[in-house]
Amino acid sequence: MSVMHLLFALILLPAITVGMVRILRGPTAADRMMTAQLFGTCGVAILLLLSVGMLNPVLIDIALVFALLATLATLTFTRRTWQGSDKRKNDDPLS
Amino acid sequence: MTILYHSGTVFIIIGVLFFLSGTVGLLRFPDIYTRLHALTKADNVGLGFVVFGLALQSGTLTVAIKLLLIWFLVLIASSASCHLIASSAMQKKIVPWTRP
Amino acid sequence: MTTSILTLFDSILILTLLWLGWRLLSSEDIFKAVILFISFGLLMALAWVRMRAPDVALAEAALGAGLTGPLFLAALRRMNRTRKGERRLDSDEKREKDQKTDTEQT
Repeated sequence: MSVMHLLFALILLPAITVGMVRILRGPTAADRMMTAQLFGTCGVAILLLLSVGMLNPVLIDIALVFALLATLATLTFTRRTWQGSDKRKNDDPLS
Repeated sequence: MTILYHSGTVFIIIGVLFFLSGTVGLLRFPDIYTRLHALTKADNVGLGFVVFGLALQSGTLTVAIKLLLIWFLVLIASSASCHLIASSAMQKKIVPWTRP
Repeated sequence: MTTSILTLFDSILILTLLWLGWRLLSSEDIFKAVILFISFGLLMALAWVRMRAPDVALAEAALGAGLTGPLFLAALRRMNRTRKGERRLDSDEKREKDQKTDTEQT
């Protein structure tokens, strides 16, 4: 009964792993940050599937924490890291 | 019961396909706005299908409502961060991609 | 069937974690390393889940992705006032002079 959910979680794990190529390749900083967002959404789905597959309902709460905290990183990035650096010229590494 | 279970399986398969297409979009699309579009929309629809399928399979109403609330939270959070990234990219005057 | 799927899942997870840790430590760009660190924290939470320790996974997700990541990102903004995102270990006097020239430029 739970084999199917584990199989779907196994299919979703490469979706995260391949998405990490964008961290290494992404031209702008926001492209790199988007991968953290992918981790948030995809990680929630994997945790929900694992909670059915491993018969462990506690994992739903970890999915809640994932959903909330991946957004926190993006919020800090746009408000603190990426703003205001346009005053500098082309030598800015974050542009 | 079995009809609910199998229809839930179909929904989960559709959701997984949406997730895979979201990742392909993140890797293949040309600029930041199109990537944001692929990532946020496709992945949230995929998560919606997965959550709906799991809620159909769960059998109890409380677990189903909890799963739907998780999807609602993810929807709010990721649309907010998508909007933040896109508006600060516009402020930094990144030009959207057009077909050459 | 179940054990083979779980073994495959675990081996993909372990290989990804090792590759991620190697890229994170050998990265020249500090911002890229911070993003890799956030991703490492989220994947490590998945690994704790697979080790049947959901409480540690909860702490790892909250600390690794929710607390340390934003703190690193906020610290990067302050470091960025120096050259090329690299921390400069010289005196405060020179840094003040740099800030003065920055404000003159703008």
